[in-house]
Formats: sequence, structure tokens, C-alpha cells
Amino acid sequence: MSRSGTYFTGLLGCFALSFGVAVLAPHLQLGPLSPSFKEEDGQISEIYPIANTSVTAGREVYVSQGCQACHSQVVQGPEAADIERGWGVRRTVARDYLFEEQPVVGASRLGPDLTNVGSSTWRNEPEADIHRPAKRDAAWQLLHLYHPTAVIDSSVMPAYPHLFQKRKVSGQPSPLALNLPTKLEPEPGYEIVPTPDGKALVAYLGSLDRSHPLKEAGAIAKAPAAKK
Amino acid sequence: MTEVASHTAASHTAEAGHAAENRSAIDAAVRPVVVSLFLSAVGWLLLSSLLSAIAAVKLQWPGFLNYSFLTYGRVVPAADGAFTFGWCSTACLGVAIWVVSRLSGRAAPGVKIASFGAFLWNGGVLLGVVSVLLGRLRPLNGIEFPFGAFLIMFLGLCAIVMWLAITFRSEEQMSLSMMFVVGGVAWLGWSLFTGNLLIELNAVRGIVQQILAAWTASGVLWLWIVPVALGTAYFLVPKVTGSPLFSGPIGRAFFWLYFITAGLVSFSRLSGGPVPLWMVSVSAACGILLLVPVLGTAYNLLATARGSSVLGTSPSMRFVFFGLGILSVGTLLFAVSGLRSFGYSLHFTMFDFGVRALLLQGGATMVLFGAIYYIMPRLSGCEWLSSSLVSFHFLGSAYGSSLGSATLIVSGLAAGSALGDPESSFSQVLELAYSYYWGRTLSYILLFAGYLAFALHFLLMAVRIGQPAGEATLLRTQNEH
Repeated sequence: MSRSGTYFTGLLGCFALSFGVAVLAPHLQLGPLSPSFKEEDGQISEIYPIANTSVTAGREVYVSQGCQACHSQVVQGPEAADIERGWGVRRTVARDYLFEEQPVVGASRLGPDLTNVGSSTWRNEPEADIHRPAKRDAAWQLLHLYHPTAVIDSSVMPAYPHLFQKRKVSGQPSPLALNLPTKLEPEPGYEIVPTPDGKALVAYLGSLDRSHPLKEAGAIAKAPAAKK
Repeated sequence: MTEVASHTAASHTAEAGHAAENRSAIDAAVRPVVVSLFLSAVGWLLLSSLLSAIAAVKLQWPGFLNYSFLTYGRVVPAADGAFTFGWCSTACLGVAIWVVSRLSGRAAPGVKIASFGAFLWNGGVLLGVVSVLLGRLRPLNGIEFPFGAFLIMFLGLCAIVMWLAITFRSEEQMSLSMMFVVGGVAWLGWSLFTGNLLIELNAVRGIVQQILAAWTASGVLWLWIVPVALGTAYFLVPKVTGSPLFSGPIGRAFFWLYFITAGLVSFSRLSGGPVPLWMVSVSAACGILLLVPVLGTAYNLLATARGSSVLGTSPSMRFVFFGLGILSVGTLLFAVSGLRSFGYSLHFTMFDFGVRALLLQGGATMVLFGAIYYIMPRLSGCEWLSSSLVSFHFLGSAYGSSLGSATLIVSGLAAGSALGDPESSFSQVLELAYSYYWGRTLSYILLFAGYLAFALHFLLMAVRIGQPAGEATLLRTQNEH
């Protein structure tokens, strides 16, 4: 074989090694994963995870707006402080993303982790913080998207006014109309309501909850999270 | 070492054996495609820097230019794509075409195929950047462009590779420069195709898609851009200094060690994530091993140039050695961040972005500038107009990229340690991280000054305005003052 023949064979070998270890091996190990479930008397229950197609549109808005640039969807294990921060009750594992096409794990944490933001126990402030929002329901999320500092003083998140529209109130005000502080209120007779994209995004955020117990994910932290 | 030196000297003599007129014939043949690739690369450099600067300002003032197409989450991947695929990759393609033709001692007919490939490549990148800004992006770090954009880029790459394959001719002992450059081109083709196709076809599912995406993106950095930069340095250093390569066999050993280990570091950005531990361990080990060929290659080149009188005055050498130094530092930090104990706290902070900026903006980019400073006079038939403009470009880009990367790295370290401490609230973590971002914003002023000087100089060179050919434009040294 000529020298360049040896070279190209070697190169192909490096490529095969890289593909084998870094792609094929993970695929063989994680590919056969299936949902966990409980079986009692022939009855199957507690299946997790379940493919949730009802929030696909919202997920597309999430990705399209680039939310993943600042928000991760990965709760790290006990070595990190994610669980104590209130971002989840256990670390996330491969099975959590089973039915997600291109899981949005995120690129950085310029904002909090959103793995479980739809769970009622999710928080991003210390347990005792008096400024902690009482609840982060759909109305809160909408207001936060429209004008972040209206609900979190120190927020550095950009506002997303393009996910909302101002419209004339005709008859009864819309139940989705934002309950804005006085300085942000539109002129009388008008209301701010989310666009279909805005509604879908908030529905997606509300669906995010990966706290179902999984044996490979270790123990579930009790809420409130145990302090050292 | 005598045997080695005589061997490398022999191969150099053989390469030099291609007559001077042959060299100028090759240069004339590839000029249209190489100059147009460089020209578009410079355009991408300015555009990506503008987008990055907008993103940097947005970090400090979230309301700045708050239009839907300029949302932070879109500007960042658009800027990164324009920089990686627009500037770095397009310039690498230009360098690869020139280096392979020169080392093969010929330019195959039908260079228009390569020009068409360059056109398609740029079209793909443009489609990618515009798509990302319009919200058609994938949540895959480093390869956010939609599949269609990558498909067009891949077709363009195929056309270029086809022409390169016809041109390619190796001597009995393939030169190190050729090994790195051809290896990089081959890897880019393979990984862009395999990675994107498997993702698009949903051949793997769940988190494995992210693992596959990390492998593809890591290949673009570590097995395309960095190897082409190293291969270019292997071409330029012996040529400019006139010294034979310090060691060919050791260089070859480092080449293989590099290609084996660099292909296995892709898990490092997933440390602490939902992947099995062995993956993180493999990447951590290979990240450390990767240091050997990178530092070894840098040393091999430094030892080659040692004592050369042009080291301080040649623009290309100044850029190349600065780039090699920064590549070494970047690889060291990359290796450290791959270690599990560090990865946990640094993952998702600005540290990773800082290391990436160090490798691409400080390392590879500077080597590519060095290559353009060497190649353009040969294509245009005149020398660079002003050594002051070159110095200005060097200072702006060297200080700018160092300051930008350093602030991101320090901010990442600060945020990482606070993030790992449950006693500090998330708003305190952010406050700490944000206290460094002014440096990032400031760095873009320096970078822009440097890049604009370069762009102007390059444009003049492209239309053949410069010093008369013959004597290279050299930088002034301290001694002359």
C-alpha cells in the first residue's frame, strides 16, 4: 500500500473509532431504554415518560425563540446544588428525554433551569425569600414573558412583546388579558392578550415536570429540599 | 536529529523542486476561488462580530434592539454559526485549496467546480444565519442551522472536495501540512454528513440526539478548524523562516495521537448531564491526552523557527505563533474543564463559551490571518500596503480576543463556584457573572477596530493595490526605533 493509502486508511480508522465510541456505543446503551411502569395484578400503571403531543406547538415556540440559549433543562446530581435550589427533586437521566425529538438541554444558565418549571414545587429563590412569587401559574408566566421586571425586580430576561397583542376590548375582557401594573396598562378600552404562540409557550412551560421517581435517578429529595 | 533534518530537508527540496513558474501558474489558477473564499470569509467575520457585539450589549441591557429576529437566543447561535461556518470554515477552505495545490505541485483543471462549491457553501451559511434569525433553528449546540442549510453547505463542500481530490498528489512521504489539512477536510465532510443526516432521519432518539449533535459540533472545532490551522502552521513556519522542520517523525506521531484523541472529546460538554459516567470519563481522559499533540506540535514549530531573524518582523509568523500559543492555552483549559470535578460546576456557565472563543477567535482565527498575510501577496502579485495597518490589526485582534475570552472564563469560574453553593441565591450567581460582562462588550470595540483595519487592507490587496512585489512588507521591531 502506498504511503497515502496508509494515511487514508488510518484516517478512516480514527473516524470509525470516534463514531463507534462517541455515537454508536451511547446509541447501543441508551437506545433500548423504554418507559418505566408499575405492574400489579397484571395491571400496568404509572407509565413514565409519556409522549406529550399536546404541547408540541409550545415547544416549537420555545426553541424558535431561542429560550435554550439561557435556560437549561437538566437537573444535575447531588454534586451540584440544583436540587437544593428548588429546580427539581432528583437529577435528570436519559430516560426523561425518551420521547423528545432533539431534547432542549440548553446551552447556558443565564436564567434558571426549567426542567420542572411546571411543577408546583419549583422555585428559583431561597425557601425563605419574601420576594418569592407565591405561585408561578399560567397568568404569572404570561406576565413574566410580557414584562419580566414586572414580576421579578432583578430579572435580566428580555421581554417578549411580540408574543402578545394589544386589542380593543369588545364586550367582556378576555380571561387571558394580562393583569398589568398601572404604569404598563394599555389605554382604557384596550387589553393585552397573548398570541397563539404566547399561549402555546406558556402551556409548554406548564407541562414541564420531570419529577416522577426513577430508580436510576437516585433518591427523591423531600420538599422543602433538605438543608445540609 | 541529523537524519530527521536531512529527511525533511530532502522533502522540502523536492517540494521546492516544482519550478517557480509552476508555483505562479498554480497561484494564477486558484486565485479566483481562493480570493473569493477569503473575501466572503472576511464578510462573515465582520457580520458575526457585529451579531456577537449585539449579543454582548444585550447581556448588559436586555432591552437593547428588542426585535423578535434579534432576540438574544437567536442572535447568539446566528453569530456563532456565522463565525464558525462563515469566517473560520470559509477561510479554512480557501487555505486548504491553496495549500493542497501548492503541495501537490499542480492545480487540476476545472477550478470553476471549486468556485461553484464555494458559492454553494456561502449560500448554505447565509441560509443558516437568516433561518436562525427568523426562528428556524435546532436546539443543538454548535449546529443550530436547519438541516437544509447544512445540506447546501455539504453539496458545496462536495464540489470543493471533488476538485481537491483530482488535484491531490502526494510525495512518497506525505508532508505534515498535507496530513493535517486533508485530514480536516475529510473529517468535515464525513461528520457534517453523518451527524446531520442521522439527526434529520431520527436514526437515534432522545438524549442520544444531543450526544450525536455534540459529536458533530465537536468535530467541526477539533477535527476541521484546528487541524487546518495546525497544518497551515506546518506549511508556513519552515517556508517563512527558511529552516527545515525540527522533527518530522515526532510531528507524524503527534498527528495520529491528535486525530485519535480529538475524536473522543465530544462528551466533555455533557458532563453532569443525563449521560452515563463512562462517556464523561472517556472525554476527560482524551482531553488530557489531546494536550500532548497540541503542545507537541506548537513546540515542534517553535523549535523550527527558533533563532530565525524573520520571527519578529514577519506578519504571518507573528499571527501564527500568537495563534499557536492561544490554541495551547485553550486546549489546556478545555482539558481541565472536562474533568468531572470541574465540569459539574463550570458546565452551563460562560466558561465553555470562553474556552471556545479562545480556541476559535484567539487561536485558529489568528493562524488563519497569518495564512492570509502569506498567501494574498502570492495571489495578487503585490505586497501588503502598510505595516502599520498590520500591526494595528494584530493589536486589536490579539487584545480583543484575549480580553473577551478572559472575561468569559473568569465570569464562568465565578458563576460556577457560586452556582455550586446552595447558600448563594440564583440572582446572586447572575450578579456575580454579570459583573464581568463589561469586558466582553469592550473587547468587541478592540476586535472591530482590528478587523476593520484587516478588511480594508484585504480589499486593497484583492484589487491589487499594495507595495510593489518582491520585498515582503515586514513589521518594524523595537530595535529600529
